[in-house]
Amino acid sequence: MNVQLTINGEPETFEVTDSDTLLDALRRNGYTGTNRACDDGECGMCRVLVDGDPTEACDVAVAEIEGAAVETIEGLGTQKDLHPIQAAFVDNAAVQCGYCTPGMVMTAKAFLEENPTPTEPEAREAIDDVLCRCTGYEKIVEAVLDAADRMNAERVAADGGSTGDPPESGSIDGGGST
Amino acid sequence: MSKQRPPEPSEETARQEELDVVSDRRPKLDARKLVTGDVKYTADYEYDFRDVATGKILRSEIAHGDVKSIDIEAAEAMDGVYAVLTPWSEEVPDRPYTSAGQSYPEPSPYDMRVLRETVRYVGDPIAAVAAEDAETAERALERIDVEYEEREPLLDFHRAMDPDAPQLHDPDEVENKQVGHDYERNREMHVEGEIGDVEAAFDAAEERDDAVVVEGEYEAQYQSHCIPEPHATLAYTDEDDRYHLISSTQVPNHVRRQVAQLFDVPIRDVRVTKPALGSGFGGKQSMLLEPVAMALHRATGRPVMVEMTREEEFTAMRFRREAAVELRTAVTEDGEILATEFYALGNSGAYGPHGLTVTAAIGKKPLPVYPRVPNVRFAADAVHTNKPVPGAQRGYGNPQGTWALESHLDEVAHEIGMDPLAFRRKHHAREGDRDEISAITAGEGAAHVIQSCGLEECIERGKEAIGYDDVEQPDDEHRHRGIGMALTKQGSGVAGDELAAAQIKMNEDGSFVLQTGAVDIGSGAESAMARIAAETLGCDLEDIVVEAADTDTTPHDYGAYASSTTYISGNAVKQAAEEAEERLRYWGAKLLDEPAENLETREGEVRSVETGESVTLEEIGYESIYGEDEREHVMGQGSFCTDESPAPYGAQFVDVTVDDRTGEYEINRLVLAIDCGRAIDPGEAEGQVEGAQHMALEYATRDLLDFDEDGRPQVTDFDEYGMPRATDQPPMETILVETHEPSGPFGAKSIGEVPTNPLPPALANAVRQAVGVRVTTLPITPEKIGAKLD
Repeated sequence: MNVQLTINGEPETFEVTDSDTLLDALRRNGYTGTNRACDDGECGMCRVLVDGDPTEACDVAVAEIEGAAVETIEGLGTQKDLHPIQAAFVDNAAVQCGYCTPGMVMTAKAFLEENPTPTEPEAREAIDDVLCRCTGYEKIVEAVLDAADRMNAERVAADGGSTGDPPESGSIDGGGST
Repeated sequence: MSKQRPPEPSEETARQEELDVVSDRRPKLDARKLVTGDVKYTADYEYDFRDVATGKILRSEIAHGDVKSIDIEAAEAMDGVYAVLTPWSEEVPDRPYTSAGQSYPEPSPYDMRVLRETVRYVGDPIAAVAAEDAETAERALERIDVEYEEREPLLDFHRAMDPDAPQLHDPDEVENKQVGHDYERNREMHVEGEIGDVEAAFDAAEERDDAVVVEGEYEAQYQSHCIPEPHATLAYTDEDDRYHLISSTQVPNHVRRQVAQLFDVPIRDVRVTKPALGSGFGGKQSMLLEPVAMALHRATGRPVMVEMTREEEFTAMRFRREAAVELRTAVTEDGEILATEFYALGNSGAYGPHGLTVTAAIGKKPLPVYPRVPNVRFAADAVHTNKPVPGAQRGYGNPQGTWALESHLDEVAHEIGMDPLAFRRKHHAREGDRDEISAITAGEGAAHVIQSCGLEECIERGKEAIGYDDVEQPDDEHRHRGIGMALTKQGSGVAGDELAAAQIKMNEDGSFVLQTGAVDIGSGAESAMARIAAETLGCDLEDIVVEAADTDTTPHDYGAYASSTTYISGNAVKQAAEEAEERLRYWGAKLLDEPAENLETREGEVRSVETGESVTLEEIGYESIYGEDEREHVMGQGSFCTDESPAPYGAQFVDVTVDDRTGEYEINRLVLAIDCGRAIDPGEAEGQVEGAQHMALEYATRDLLDFDEDGRPQVTDFDEYGMPRATDQPPMETILVETHEPSGPFGAKSIGEVPTNPLPPALANAVRQAVGVRVTTLPITPEKIGAKLD
């Protein structure tokens, strides 16, 4: 059967079976930034946003969300033009193996849209549903708080105010490495 | 988390400040790729191939027995099933091997087959299927009928050497047997060694009025790596008719050699590529899926992807081993240690990979924290049971050994009425000490003189950060606060058994390609290598393009284990960069018309320290490749091995409050100060400490794997396992105490494993300090504390 979804703002039609999860469909259609870790809805690493809500992509039958708007990590920034949350993760060394990172970043995105000025305990609570084995969560919590500052600075700038110091990472002209 | 910066600049740190790229806090090179999802892990390569088949493994449902027959007819007849393999299929190698993933010849017995007629734990692989998709493969597995002849399972490792215990392995079927093996008693190996005369020292202590002998027994549990990315391997034949394995491995070169040996194909016809790894922690040192993927590929002629489920990760991959330790120490009233005796019993589970080296490490890694103890005896046995197979896991025996030794020494200090910290300070390692304990038994480890040791500073700064001398008690009379501590060390590579190589080649624009065998498992190792290269070549971090961990295109490297990468691979990279830098100065001398010895490379230039004149690396890049009268490709090579394995050190402090009615406790704060030599990448180094604290917190406080009376695993997913989440983490502080290790690249040692060791004993010691009771088995639970309080 076919399922029509909006992925990162673009209409997509996926050919799926009854048993396909959203994660299966995404990965088979080129959205491999979302990683398979438990396939059981427990670890949060494959989280994407479905109609704005953080959702374990492995825990949703894709046939049941016809018409939904799905946001994945591919819809945020690019390597040359990072989203502020991604830039904050980069600059705070909050990324080690990177396997949980898309789930963390998408969770942080939904959270910061709801709560743009979180406290440390609120930021910690926000990522509680996503497991990470590398970082001890410390630098991820720091990155979420830093991302809030960056996004608020951007909002102020968009309103014509002063942004203070520009973020370190974000748009760059080139460079990088494999 | 608060971070402490290094202390005020001394002469040493003033020199360090001249570094441009090493120790700089800019992000690792692959961070952008990781945070955008552009990174490719092994499973992502599936979509690059047409006709790729999915491989699945049928595993034993019983803990011990023989497979009498396997009926595969119904599975084979299914649409979309391409191959069904059993132990008797011709594509399945019929020879014993070890999954250990170690250097050759492996210090592990060849005691397993790819698919198994005799099964020794619930999870042993019996058959494999390749099918058009995962769903079809799973349905095919369900249609395979296995008939077993069951044998009595052996589940308690304390019973393994009993005369009436079921025997797991026939010694005639095991090759490459290890020291002290006695398979009729389920003993995989036995080692022992002694420094001084332990018995005489204990006898003398018994005679003295001012000496006591303290004994203790400690137990440590299984632990899962909980790697985020499940193990995965894609096997296919490339356009040159060579086998290519894209695999989530920490040891591409060992996998290539082992696969070639197992399938009897030339090493030159096998290529192993390691893509980005969703972490490893030792779990991906073992060669677990590659032989199955290879056999299925050879049987079907299609590319085959084998990827583990989370249940398989929790039941059939590798683990930290269960262990029991007996300790005995003779000590005088004023705190002089006369002798220590340490016995370790390790549970090897069903098979023997890493049984010798991990079980020996239980004593050999923690004991050298105190290298001046004059009389030391260590002995260890590794025994088999019908439980899952342990392998390498971050710390490598040291968490179990440190748990026992640091709990025991704390008890020794209490016994003689001495402050546990003051007691350790009398004995811990210092620069210039000769460590013979690392070489107390044959095999891994060599006696050596300690050239860098920041333990004293770790203790001093850790003590201050936790407030050791100023513990305020809660107002509630039933709640008691205590601070416990523990010391630790690790190594930097396997002493005398490492090789790493690297090559650097220059591009016209003044950038470089660094080809390194170093295996980045998520720790930022590739960037650490690039930092070392850039610092040496005088270019920027972004001027280094890293190509790594591909057996065809990068130089040999034993791989990511034993905390080897920064030190061993880093030294190889430094050598390669130094050779290339010498050529840069040759070309600089030619273009500047100045002697090479007057020149230095820095900030993208070769410049004269005499005249200040300079030429850019880009100018050298073009001139050396396209010059009129002379041409050369500026390159450098490094190949590094050593008998040294300099130890990183650490001092852990735990602040806890315990309720004396219930044993309920709360960890108020963790502090861990680590001497890793120079931190090549301070942000990633802190990340290693913080991540290790998470893993150690789990080991200390959570009841992890569990089995029923038939050996069936009761923990098969994250929720049942109980890995700590963000809100479960107590506040923690990381202190990097930077020393200068003379043999390390820019003074670096390792940091990947050492912070995994000391939290469990420091927590138990804190509980002891708070309410006076000693928990001797992991995990440390309120129930155990409460029972001792009654």
